[in-house]
Amino acid sequence: MKKRNLSVLLAAAMIASTLAGCGTTAKGTAVQQSNGKDIVKALLPPVSASYQEKLMEYAKEFNEANPDLELQITTASWEDITEKLDVQVNAGSPPDIAFIGSTGVTKYLDTEMLVDISKYADKEMIEDYNADIINYFKNGDGLYGFPAYVEIQAIGGNKAMLEEAGIDWQGIQKNGWTYEEFREAIKKGVVKDGDNYSRYGFVFACSGVAAKDYFSIFVKNAGMSAAFDKDLKYTYTSSHMVPFLKDIRALIDDGSMPKELSSVDAGKRWNMFLTEQTMITGKGLSVFEKLATDNNKKLAANDGSAVEGSQEVEYIVLPVPTFQGNKQQAQGAVDGYVCFRGKDEPSPDHLKNVAKAAYFLASGKRAAETCQELYISPICKSGEEAFASLPPMEGKNENNTNAVKNLATQVAEARPDIPADLGAKAIKIEDEVILPKFQGLLAGEITPEEMHEAIKKAAVEAFGEEGCVMD
Amino acid sequence: MQTAKKRKRLNNDAKWGYVFVFVPIVSFIIFTLYPVVQAAIVSFQSYKPLKTEFVGFSNYSNTLKNGLFFKSIWNTAVYTAVTVPISILVAFIISILLVPFKKRSQSFFKAVFYLPGIASGVALSFVWKWIFDPLPSGLLNSVIRAFGIQNQNWLGSSQTAMLSLIIMTIFSGLGSTVIIYVAALLGIDPTYYEVANIDGATFLQRIKYVVWPMVKPTTVFLTITGVINAFQAFQTAYLMTGGGPDHATTMVGLLIFNNAFKYFNYGEACAQALLLAGIIAVFAVFQFKVMAADVEY
Repeated sequence: MKKRNLSVLLAAAMIASTLAGCGTTAKGTAVQQSNGKDIVKALLPPVSASYQEKLMEYAKEFNEANPDLELQITTASWEDITEKLDVQVNAGSPPDIAFIGSTGVTKYLDTEMLVDISKYADKEMIEDYNADIINYFKNGDGLYGFPAYVEIQAIGGNKAMLEEAGIDWQGIQKNGWTYEEFREAIKKGVVKDGDNYSRYGFVFACSGVAAKDYFSIFVKNAGMSAAFDKDLKYTYTSSHMVPFLKDIRALIDDGSMPKELSSVDAGKRWNMFLTEQTMITGKGLSVFEKLATDNNKKLAANDGSAVEGSQEVEYIVLPVPTFQGNKQQAQGAVDGYVCFRGKDEPSPDHLKNVAKAAYFLASGKRAAETCQELYISPICKSGEEAFASLPPMEGKNENNTNAVKNLATQVAEARPDIPADLGAKAIKIEDEVILPKFQGLLAGEITPEEMHEAIKKAAVEAFGEEGCVMD
Repeated sequence: MQTAKKRKRLNNDAKWGYVFVFVPIVSFIIFTLYPVVQAAIVSFQSYKPLKTEFVGFSNYSNTLKNGLFFKSIWNTAVYTAVTVPISILVAFIISILLVPFKKRSQSFFKAVFYLPGIASGVALSFVWKWIFDPLPSGLLNSVIRAFGIQNQNWLGSSQTAMLSLIIMTIFSGLGSTVIIYVAALLGIDPTYYEVANIDGATFLQRIKYVVWPMVKPTTVFLTITGVINAFQAFQTAYLMTGGGPDHATTMVGLLIFNNAFKYFNYGEACAQALLLAGIIAVFAVFQFKVMAADVEY
C-alpha cells in the first residue's frame, strides 16, 4: 500500500511539474519586476573573445547606475543563438534585447515583435551614431536597434607570398584592383606539379551557406550593390549578372581556385591559408590578422596548439576586385542590439528602459572594448572616445588598419526603404535559388546563363516582370 | 460474500490500473496528441505570434505547387530506398558474423558498432566532413586514389553529395540494427540448426531456410521503422550539405525546418509535415501488408 501511495505521489508530482510549464500569464500590460525593479532581459552571443566574461561586469555597472532597473543577461553560443531567439520570438516571449545581424531586422519585423525604439530612445542616444550605419537598423521610419560595429568583409593575403608574386599589396589597399588584375595576380600564386596543386592563388569558403558570402561580397563590386535598386526593382535579374558569373567561374577554370571549391568550408580554407596552400583567402575579416599573429606566436613558442603544418604568416587585408568597370564597394556586416516586445503589450516606461539598456550595451566602453578585440573602429562618438583611452593593440599592422578604415567609407548604404515583405521574398530567392545554383556553378554543373535564367524565373514569379531589372 | 469481496478487489485493482495508465495517457496527450492537433490547426493558418489568420487550404495548395517540395520528396525517397535495405543487409551480415563469438567478445563488438549512435550528430558530422575532404589529401580521396579512381568533390558535387550522405547514414546508424538482429539470432531455437545439419544444409542454405525466415518479424520491424526514420531525415543534410549543391540533398525534413525556422512560415511547414506524415503512413501500411502477410507476432 505504501508503495502504491508513493507511486501515486510521484505520478502526481510528475504531472504537476509537466503542467507547471503550461501556465498562462495574466493578459494586459506585461510587467516584469523583481524587488520593485523593472527587469530588462538580454540574449547575447560571444561577440568578441572576452565579451561574455565582461558581460557580468557590464550588467553590474548598468544596474548600479540605474537602481530602479535590473539588466539580466543570458548568454548563448553563436551556433545556438539564432535558434533560441527564433523559438522565443515565435512563442511570443522573446528577450527584451538580442544581438543580431542587421539583415535579421526584416525577418523579425515580419513577426511584428520588434519594437520601434525611435519613440523611446533619447535623441542623444540616436545622434551618438554614424547616421549611415544606424540606418542598417531602420526599416521605413522605424528604428529597431542600435548597431555595435561594422565588420568589413573582404579578402586577405599572405604578405610574403604577395611580395614573392610581385603584387603591390600596399597600392591595392589604397587604390583597389580590377577583376583582370586580380585574375592575373592569383595565377602567380599557384604552385603545382603536373595536376597536383600544392598552392592555389585564391580560396574562398564556399561550403553550404558560406557560398552566399562569396556571391554577396563580390556581386557588390559588379554594379549590384543590393538586391533592389532605388526604384525597388530586383537587380539580380540584370544582364550584368551573366558576365559576372562567367568571371567567377573563370577563376576556377584557370586553376587559380580549387575545382572542389564548393565544399571548402571556413575552417578548411583558414587551415589552407595558415599552411600556405593558398596565397589569398576569403571571406576575410580584420580580426584574422590577430588570429594569424596568435598562431605565429604559438609557432615561435613551439606550442603544440598551433595549427598543424602551419607557417608564420602575416595577414594583409585586401579589397575585393571590381568587375566590368564598376566602382569598389565594400560589404559591411553591421551587427547590433535589437529590441523586442512580448505577446502582452509592454508599458512605455518598460520600453524606455529597454532602449536605455540596448544603448548602454552598444555604446561607450562596451563598444570600444568589443571593437578593439575585433580589430575594428567604433561607430559611435561615445565608443570612439572610450576607444582613444584604451591601451593600443601591440603589433597591429597600420596598413591593415588604414585599409579597413578606407573600406569602411565604401560600405554599401543601408536600405531602410526596402519594405519588409519585399526583403523577405528576396531572402527566400537568395536561399532557394541563388545559393543552390551558385553552388552548382562553382561545382561546374550549371552554366552562368542557366543560373541567371533560374534567378529571373524566381524573381519574376515573386515580383512580376515590372518589379525586376530587365535590361 | 466471497464474490463481493473479489469484485471489490477487482474494482480496486482497476482503479489503480486507471491511475497508472493516467500518467502515460496524459504524457501522450501533452507531448504527442496536442502537438499533432496543433500542427493540423496551424496548417490552415498564417501563423504569427501576435496576429494569426485562417487561410484555408492555401498552405497545402502552395506546397503542392512548389517544385522544391516534390524534388525534396524524390531526394528523400532515393535516400530511403538506398539506406534502408543496405543498412539492414549490412547489419544482418555483421550480426551473423558476431553470433558465433563468445558473449564478452560479442558485447565488445556490439559496443563498437553502437558507439556512433551515442556520439552527437554534430561531432559525427565533423568527423565525416574530414573523411569527405574534397582535396586530394582528403581521407576518402586518398583511399579511392589507391584504386585508381580520380579525386571526388564528395559533398560539393550533385553527383556525389547524396551518395556521401547515404554512406554516412549507413555506417553511422548500424549499431542499433546490429543489436536487434543479434538478439533475434540468439532467440532462434538451436534445434533448427541441428536439423539443418542432419539434413546436410550448407551455411548459405541454413541462412536462407532457417535464419532468414526466423528473423523475418525483426526484418519487417526494422524495415518499417527504418523507412519512417529515413523519411524524417534532417540532421545529416542540415549539418553536411545544407541541402546543396543545387538542392541535390534537400530532404523534406530540411525543407520543413527551413520553412518553419528560417522563413517563419509555420503554416506551410505544418502542411508539409502533415503531407509527409500521410506519405509515411501510406508506405508503412503498404509495407506491412506486403511484408508482414505471413509474419506472426
